[in-house]
Amino acid sequence: MHNQRPILCIIPPHMLREISERGTDLQQEKARATMAVSSQIRIQRTSAALTVHMGAAGTPDKHRNIYDAKQGSQLPGTLVRKEGDPPSADLAVNEAYDGSGATYDLFKEIYGRNSIDGNGMSLDSTVHYQKGYDNAFWNGQQMVYGDGDEDLPPSQRLFNRFTAALDVIAHELTHGVTQFEANLAYSFQSGALNESMSDVFGSLVKQRLRSQTAAEADWIIGEGLFTANVNGVGIRSMKAPGTAYNDPILGKDPQPAHMRDYVNTIEDSGGVHINSGIPNHAFYIASIELGGFAWEKAGMIWYKTLADKFNQNSSFQDAANLTVETARELFGSGSIEEKAVIKGWQEVGIIVGAPAGDGCLTAMMRAIGLAK
Amino acid sequence: MTKIDFVQSGGFMGRTIILSLDLDDMPPHQAQTFNLLLDQADFFRLEVDPAKPPVPDSFTYTITVTTDERSHTIHVSDTTAPEQLRPLLLALSARARIR
Repeated sequence: MHNQRPILCIIPPHMLREISERGTDLQQEKARATMAVSSQIRIQRTSAALTVHMGAAGTPDKHRNIYDAKQGSQLPGTLVRKEGDPPSADLAVNEAYDGSGATYDLFKEIYGRNSIDGNGMSLDSTVHYQKGYDNAFWNGQQMVYGDGDEDLPPSQRLFNRFTAALDVIAHELTHGVTQFEANLAYSFQSGALNESMSDVFGSLVKQRLRSQTAAEADWIIGEGLFTANVNGVGIRSMKAPGTAYNDPILGKDPQPAHMRDYVNTIEDSGGVHINSGIPNHAFYIASIELGGFAWEKAGMIWYKTLADKFNQNSSFQDAANLTVETARELFGSGSIEEKAVIKGWQEVGIIVGAPAGDGCLTAMMRAIGLAK
Repeated sequence: MTKIDFVQSGGFMGRTIILSLDLDDMPPHQAQTFNLLLDQADFFRLEVDPAKPPVPDSFTYTITVTTDERSHTIHVSDTTAPEQLRPLLLALSARARIR
């Protein structure tokens, strides 16, 4: 774990207070909202002080627990399947079990990481969270999955159960890995990087299970989450951000693929699920340049950077500089790997080697209308 | 006059959903249900710790209730919502999801 820069990227509270008191009406409103968002980046390390379960013989090993919330909100719920148990009659239970297992396997077998915390932490998942819950999340300790629109008439349903997509499961588990490593603050650029890491390893778990090369993979995140009522192939596209869906009810996929289209917003914790399209696409380009299985080289570079170089406050520019640095360390200066990573970032509008500067601060200032 | 403004943001998809309800314009039995849920939540006295950050991919919710006499806004997430508020949250989410 490396956190070289402990200072978090936030507009100083006193500045926000000034704006909230003296700015225009719109600026005041946005500054107050930003103060709320800023508090989100104080992610509590204490939440990472989790119970670590070891295998039966005390050996750090794959150890999965699947719980059923029975449509309530109490976590973790009732334990319904644990490591080594036979498959359940409940499809969502088995999907959560198999998906968390496949994710554990990628991190263990390819990157040598023993579970979420690197120390054999149990992989806990809860399915059937609430009723009509169109979502999945990582609560700091475990994964949680809703059943989508199961409570609506079939003709009105937009979402299937969230365990239906393997990359969603791997995405949530990767939030745990990030929490124990860089602990990227969940707002603005560092938050979008946090999201991107989850999409990258989410997609890699799926690609590895399907034995697909970078060129063969679909690079869609959340394939299978939409019902047939939605005009879309998934929630996000790493190959072509902004094209995953275009639907009369859901609207159009808002992801940019280039810095010139970066979205300055205070919604969604500063657009963490929107601007993640930019680093997602950089990873896709680098993977295509390298060819072969993306989890082997590009995935290794991204994983090592997440584990050893990012800090809570890393920006997109940091990500570009540091992934290239990692590529150089792993494969050599002037290597095709280094060049592929440089090209990836270049194609999304980030020139490797530029100073990271105050990109995060600038993004926040733009979001509240104080910078252009 | 009682108005409820509800904003759901974040989630795996990062989509923002907005719902505005004017209880005076609703069928009486529906308005009564929302009034009961507001009472159950003790909404106007509900204080939520804003320092608690939302966790990755959780939904965040902003609810503002305005009457002739007063207005109150709260910000919560899936993991910070107090139990007494959850029935109201579920009812608002369900209504926002009706296409």
